[in-house]
Amino acid sequence: MAEVEFEGKKFSVDEDGFIDSFDSWCKEWVQYVKKQEGIDELSEEHWKIINVLQDYYRKNGIAPMVRVLSKVTGFKLKHIYELFPSGPGKGACKMAGLPKPTGCV
Amino acid sequence: MSHHRAQISINDISKATDQFRHIDPKNLKKLPGDEFDETAWTPLKDEVKDKYAAILDDTCILPIPRPRTKEEEEAFVNKFIDGMRKSFTKENNWTFLAMLETSMEHCAKCNTCSEACHLYEASGEDPMYRPNFRSEIFRRIYKKYVKKEPFAKWRHGDIDLNWRTVARLGELAYRCNICRRCAQACPIGVDNALLAREIRKIFSQEMGIHCPELHDKGSMLQLATGSSTQMTAAVVKDNVEFIDQDFSEEFGYEFHTPWDVQGADILLIHNAGEIMAWPENIAAFHMIFQAAGLSWTLSSEITAYDAINYGTFYDDVQFARTAILHASAAQKLGVKKIILAECGHAHKALTVIADRVLPVPLKIPRESCFPLLRDIVLSGKIKFDPSRNNFPVTLHDPCNVTRLMGIIKPQRDIVHALCPQFREMTPHGAHNYCCGGGSGFAIMHRNNIAEWRYFISGRKKLNQILNAFSDCRGPGEKKYVCAPCSNCKGQMRDLFQHYNLMETESMAYGGLVELIVNAMVDVKPGFIKWEE
Repeated sequence: MAEVEFEGKKFSVDEDGFIDSFDSWCKEWVQYVKKQEGIDELSEEHWKIINVLQDYYRKNGIAPMVRVLSKVTGFKLKHIYELFPSGPGKGACKMAGLPKPTGCV
Repeated sequence: MSHHRAQISINDISKATDQFRHIDPKNLKKLPGDEFDETAWTPLKDEVKDKYAAILDDTCILPIPRPRTKEEEEAFVNKFIDGMRKSFTKENNWTFLAMLETSMEHCAKCNTCSEACHLYEASGEDPMYRPNFRSEIFRRIYKKYVKKEPFAKWRHGDIDLNWRTVARLGELAYRCNICRRCAQACPIGVDNALLAREIRKIFSQEMGIHCPELHDKGSMLQLATGSSTQMTAAVVKDNVEFIDQDFSEEFGYEFHTPWDVQGADILLIHNAGEIMAWPENIAAFHMIFQAAGLSWTLSSEITAYDAINYGTFYDDVQFARTAILHASAAQKLGVKKIILAECGHAHKALTVIADRVLPVPLKIPRESCFPLLRDIVLSGKIKFDPSRNNFPVTLHDPCNVTRLMGIIKPQRDIVHALCPQFREMTPHGAHNYCCGGGSGFAIMHRNNIAEWRYFISGRKKLNQILNAFSDCRGPGEKKYVCAPCSNCKGQMRDLFQHYNLMETESMAYGGLVELIVNAMVDVKPGFIKWEE
């Protein structure tokens, strides 16, 4: 596990740059990923996605289908990409502290 | 053969340098359009280069721990040679030994294979990517150190065997899409792709070195949870129920997915990645199967709701474990056959390789979805309006469906019937080119692997796609690339995004069943979407 430091906090990350454990997630991590993703300002819409992802993950142990995320937030996939340029998996899940989605997704 | 690049000899592979070759983006094969010029590779991080033997080219796909001492270097080489020895014994490699030996003994070194390889061409004909460059290293090591042929080094050429030779060979096994286009071109039948896979097998089965996406987060997860996506039976059923409701509602066509129906004719197995990322493919299949009145079911047994078998990419043991679970689920349900949905590697796994692995009682018939879909579409049971598909469509041929299995006409019967503006790529069918994501790469984003897919492995396919639409380039006209394979779609998604093809070319990609449902009269128009 590699370590990254941001604003005085240290995080262990996997080789895709995802946080090692959901329990280590915190506001500083969000700021760190925001910078990495090249997102200027976090809006309510970003947070809506983060919250939906986290709620689903707590219940089911994996990320939701993209279509479920889209349906629950009311955001089309294109808009999710506008909010998170790396997409729902590599961008939004990363910021929300979920592990990188696995398999052919 | 216009480029005369610095020539290399096989023995250069053993040299004590930090990086064997650098691919200059300037030398990459030109794409049709000025907007596609590549600039530079994102350099590998120092920590990656320190941890792993990333000493081949500009990226690192197989994470080989860098040996730290003389002893570790020796142990690394010896383990590889031990593994190679086992590859040539019937007890350890009955599945592939015959083809392996053919490929070892009969190569005439004509290099016809180079001309067939999209990686070699796309890279600007870098000699490192010749299919036979890798094979020849493997062959020389085998003749001299395993088979110990008399005068091997004079008869077949010498090789200096050190840890760098082995590490670079391991990485070179992951500079091949295992598309087998070179095997098809070989006048003798030498299969360089098979050799690449045999090298991958030695690294995984004997040395415990594999790509995390394929092993720890791939086949191991599938065996533990039922799917490499980590969907459990409860989650997958929940997701498919959502698909049923959501698509029924949106398209005014009510359908229900049957689960675990004892004695159904067909067990349909999807690549579970479709459920997570491309649910329209799942919905389309289930709408068609229901409309056709088939007797069918999905299974919630472990692995039987995920057709993937990542062992296909790198490991026969992991392969067998998964294939047996797939077949056992079908046996338990008492179905007449398994139908594989749109996943090329699943086709290769369960219809081709599994024949060499499954015991007789588990040899339940296993078939591709494409002939069945053709029969449904041409049967007249479902009403179609092809004018709904009146946009330019081209068809990508997944290597494992077309070249490996010879299923070429059924897909075409469908698109000829339903897509007025269908056009072929050049070449196509058995002579197709890989999407560039084949053999496991499509799901890899570590380091700068995605760049390697954009710059090199996906380049030929992108070239073909753009040329297929040469009469309608630009954002004005909506186009559809039909890529009926999850892996190919993953590669298309990344390619399209990297080269901005949704915006600049109004290009969408998707499967074959989506085109079928898009033309179904009983389904609300607009099943295929561009804007999302």
